[in-house]
Amino acid sequence: MISFMGYRRPDGTAGIRNWVLLVPFRYEHQIAERIARTVRGTRVLVTTGCLGRPKQDRETFARVITGMGKNPNVAGVILIGTSNKAEYPEVDYAKTAEDITSTGRPVEVLTVSDCGGAGAATERGIDIARRMVVEASRLCREPCGIGELSVAVKCGVSDISSGIAGNPTVGSAFDAIVEAGGTAFFSENTEIIGAEQILAERAASPEVAQAILDTASRTEEKARSTGQDIREMNPIPANIAAGISTLAEKSIGAIAKGGTSPLRGVLRYAERPPGPGLYFVDAWMSSYSLPAGYAAAGSQMCLYVMGGESLPSGVAMPTVSSGVVIPMLYLTGNPRTYAKMEMDLDFNAGPVLEGDETPDAAGKRLLTLIADVASGALTKTEALRHTDPVDLYFEGPVF
Amino acid sequence: MKQALVLSDKDNVATALADLAAGAVVLDITLRDDVPFGHKLALERIESGEHVIKYGYPIGAASSPIEPGEHVHVHNVEGLRGRGDLEGKA
Repeated sequence: MISFMGYRRPDGTAGIRNWVLLVPFRYEHQIAERIARTVRGTRVLVTTGCLGRPKQDRETFARVITGMGKNPNVAGVILIGTSNKAEYPEVDYAKTAEDITSTGRPVEVLTVSDCGGAGAATERGIDIARRMVVEASRLCREPCGIGELSVAVKCGVSDISSGIAGNPTVGSAFDAIVEAGGTAFFSENTEIIGAEQILAERAASPEVAQAILDTASRTEEKARSTGQDIREMNPIPANIAAGISTLAEKSIGAIAKGGTSPLRGVLRYAERPPGPGLYFVDAWMSSYSLPAGYAAAGSQMCLYVMGGESLPSGVAMPTVSSGVVIPMLYLTGNPRTYAKMEMDLDFNAGPVLEGDETPDAAGKRLLTLIADVASGALTKTEALRHTDPVDLYFEGPVF
Repeated sequence: MKQALVLSDKDNVATALADLAAGAVVLDITLRDDVPFGHKLALERIESGEHVIKYGYPIGAASSPIEPGEHVHVHNVEGLRGRGDLEGKA
């Protein structure tokens, strides 16, 4: 049985990292960034807030903030606001603090008005963050089973290797994690169109089957309502250059990344699953959006299956940090891609495409790497000190 | 290493695992076109409107008749899903 060394949290979950998370609610990014530059072991959730957005999007914002704060990789949270006055009811420091505190994590609310200015708030925040980071560092890793992992996957710059080698390899590793009692997430609504029947057949209940069919038809309806051929948006030109001809071809290859476990449910972006198992997340494909939603749903790690045939040598990966508190593990099923960007890729499933290895054999190798990363080994992109924008999945109009 | 990969018995296309040149014989089929790495070649004649099958599932329909050994891609395959451009034209 594969195990890893994790941080046992008061709520029983197992962290694979040990961050103090700084969450600016609106205009406090400067304060958060200055604290983070001064105090090691901190991460900042940088969003554009939810001003002028409808209720369902404000709820999404609240789910992301609260969910990210409760992520197993987070040891403590500092919520940073301007004042305690008049915010949207969904976006309330006290409520958010209470919700995160219920998991046993320390939470502090820092407001500019209480501190008497941004400078004073920054100084106070540095003191709080230092105290939290030192306290967090006293927690030692202990043995955990892979069934305590919650993993997520996104595929990108897809080419034909994605569906044949990269995604089935991840699927095989995810099957093992789910089998051990763990949780796995996959997503990308557009990329179930044309493959939704295959997923519906694997649903754990008729309700889940209907939910996946509904998600596909709603997304297809949204595409139709634009009056455009969805092929002008997805498959993206890079996919087509690499040989993917239609959305259905991309989709059937894309769903292989979830593995073959029964589908337990369809979740909203940043929604916590009701129990372990495999879940589809109703969300958007963006590299700047999806990892943050996974992290808020409790995932400790995000895998990224790179196709990459159309990319030039040595190109930087699409995102390094958009999961904020969770590492990105990059792999490819394309041996030519691996040769071109080995500097950024953590795993090569290329032998599967070349017929030298089965997806299950590669999946076993990948599982070992997942356990190492869970125990603290850095992924190649994780070694970079770089912050990507986080683009939350909002669906409503703005006012 | 194989030159091309057939993913299911039901498939009428194969995926090139190398940049293949017109005239080359792959899976006992003489290629009519160059087929780049990752792109598809027809294993049999596919009539216009007939499904193109890969992974054992339809991925689209032929928009013109496709001969064995032809390059199969956006020039002769149409996606059938999410086609807002076809609304009102049916």
